[in-house]
Amino acid sequence: MTTLDENAKQEASGMTRRGFLGFLGKSAACVGAIAGASSTIGATELVHGKRGFQQNDEQFAEAVNNPPKVPDYNWNDHEWAMGVDTDRCIGCLRCMEACKMENSVQMDAFHFRTWVERYVYLEGSNTAVVDSQSDPKNIENAGSETKFRFDNRYRNVKVDKAFFVPKLCNQCEHPSCVQVCPTGATFKANDGPVLIDTTYCIGCQYCVQACPYGARTFNESRGTVDKCNWCYHRITKGLNPACVEVCPTGTRIFGDRKDPESPISLFIRNNHVQVLKPEMGNAPNVFYKGTDKEVV
Amino acid sequence: MSVPKHIVRLLALIAVVAVVVFSVKKFLVPDSFYQYGHYRGNAVAEIASKAPKLQGSASCQSCHKEAYAVWTSGIHRKATKDNKVQGVVVKYGPGCEVCHTGPAGNHPSKEPMPLSVEDRVTSITHLEHKVHPANVPGRNLMLDPESMRGVCLNCHDKLEARPVVQRQVAVDSHSGKELCTTCHNPHSPRIDNFAALPRPAVDPNTGKAISAVEKFKTGDASAGKSAAAVCAACHGNAGVSVNPIWPNLAGQHAVYLTNALKAFKSGARKNDMMSGIAAGLSEADISNVAAYFAKASCRVTGGDKAKIEAGKTKAAAAGCAACHNAGGLRGTGAAGISASPAWPNLAGQNADYLASALKSFKDDSRNHAVMSSVAKSLSDSDIDNLSAYYASVSCK
Repeated sequence: MTTLDENAKQEASGMTRRGFLGFLGKSAACVGAIAGASSTIGATELVHGKRGFQQNDEQFAEAVNNPPKVPDYNWNDHEWAMGVDTDRCIGCLRCMEACKMENSVQMDAFHFRTWVERYVYLEGSNTAVVDSQSDPKNIENAGSETKFRFDNRYRNVKVDKAFFVPKLCNQCEHPSCVQVCPTGATFKANDGPVLIDTTYCIGCQYCVQACPYGARTFNESRGTVDKCNWCYHRITKGLNPACVEVCPTGTRIFGDRKDPESPISLFIRNNHVQVLKPEMGNAPNVFYKGTDKEVV
Repeated sequence: MSVPKHIVRLLALIAVVAVVVFSVKKFLVPDSFYQYGHYRGNAVAEIASKAPKLQGSASCQSCHKEAYAVWTSGIHRKATKDNKVQGVVVKYGPGCEVCHTGPAGNHPSKEPMPLSVEDRVTSITHLEHKVHPANVPGRNLMLDPESMRGVCLNCHDKLEARPVVQRQVAVDSHSGKELCTTCHNPHSPRIDNFAALPRPAVDPNTGKAISAVEKFKTGDASAGKSAAAVCAACHGNAGVSVNPIWPNLAGQHAVYLTNALKAFKSGARKNDMMSGIAAGLSEADISNVAAYFAKASCRVTGGDKAKIEAGKTKAAAAGCAACHNAGGLRGTGAAGISASPAWPNLAGQNADYLASALKSFKDDSRNHAVMSSVAKSLSDSDIDNLSAYYASVSCK
């Protein structure tokens, strides 16, 4: 009866196993609550700015008090976001081409920072047929891999409903890609965009796997991952991203959510908008108007 | 109690390794690495310091004034400039860099600005302002016909998924193999209004557009009557010429007459008589005279019956109706009455004058982006027949 003996011994010392475990749990909860409370207090002490993804108090204070030295620009004053009005998109792919020009992305149909998908519901069908510029038939129609155009394959069939959906990096609030990067090469800037420090990217492509939206591609010639950064070099100079600049129909809307009269604030306020794959918990910053449930 | 020697050695080794590792890490990790988070803080400013390449349409204006003016006045402009919305979809309109792919940031540079998709510059050229050569041997900056259509069809090809408010054409039935630019000015493609001339008149020597497109103001017809006295000697008091080799002016579009007189005045169009007379007219005189003759009543002079029949068939085949028909491209209407007031009415014109005009387009003594190429496709008998036909149709 050794167990009974041990129980007796523990009772004698004033602590049972159950009691000890209970104490452990309670104390952990207390420590957690104190830590949480102190960090909340720490954040409220800082007047403006938004805490970056995985940023501790000290780093947040640094971000607010000593922002990156970008001329005439303070990242604490901005919170960028994009809107996509799919009712307007004509699928001309000028956004994709302008993006490639602006950011020196490889000129083929398979590497891109932004792209456009075509959703077609054939007559009587409840599911959409989806194609994009990298579909072989579209490449053939464009005549070369360096031109981008949708073909006219649905000319002779009955279509219930069809529309284009432009896509790009969602610059998530909780970016999976940043979470998995082993070297700190990708990170979320305090004004919103998720950026890549190409000097630190080792090309492991873990982030490409982690992104639920397929927004990242690998640039084989440079050996680094490539992604949309909302043309960070443009928006910090007061310009629109390249895709927004060239969109002939106003499908893409860009602006600062801290300015209540900016195009994006008005777009979100005046329309019913949704984000892609909300169930992933990434909290995207690209807001779509007019998409179907099929669009993910 | 003394610590065994091998433990002391082990601890010393660990200490040395720790010192080495920490000093190497200190040396390799840049100061800014943990500044804002688990990344290099300086990277933010580095990424932001890249030079933008797309420069926006405004940057094209200083050198390409004519094209910019045409674009600004047409449907292909950013309507937000004066807060006018052009349609449901065309809210902003394509800027220069939408069709002229190859961002302006690469231009002017060593290479000329690519006007075409195939000539685009894919390499990164930094913003150095170099004067580019006006003439680049071996480089054709204009597109081949198929690619040129492709530029328009990127947005205007009829696709199921495009919103219905976007203007779209089924190419096969709309124009067949014809180029879009035969009828449309890509900078201002709508052809129903004056703003959309097929193309502004181009000086063949300098290659520059001559007439800036501006808002047309109708002149004062009664003031024009006195100024028109000088015209009467040849074109008749009421605009019906005394000699059929000279054009009738009665009932002609005022916009066309104005453009013609301005072209004579500037030297873009040359005629021994008209160049001198137009040079003596002021801008106001020109619009007044044009308004006067536009209001005058026209008269059909007619032509040879057999030629008229042959001309009618040829007119349908040659596509004259696309422009010189009241219905324009999109419908039927009175033959010989032009769809745009910027294009001449052919009805009520003298057959002899029409023939001489076509012949001058054919032999390049007169130039027009559309008419020169059309006239070159016509034989001399075609020209006679067409002239007879259009001289016989009703001008009312």
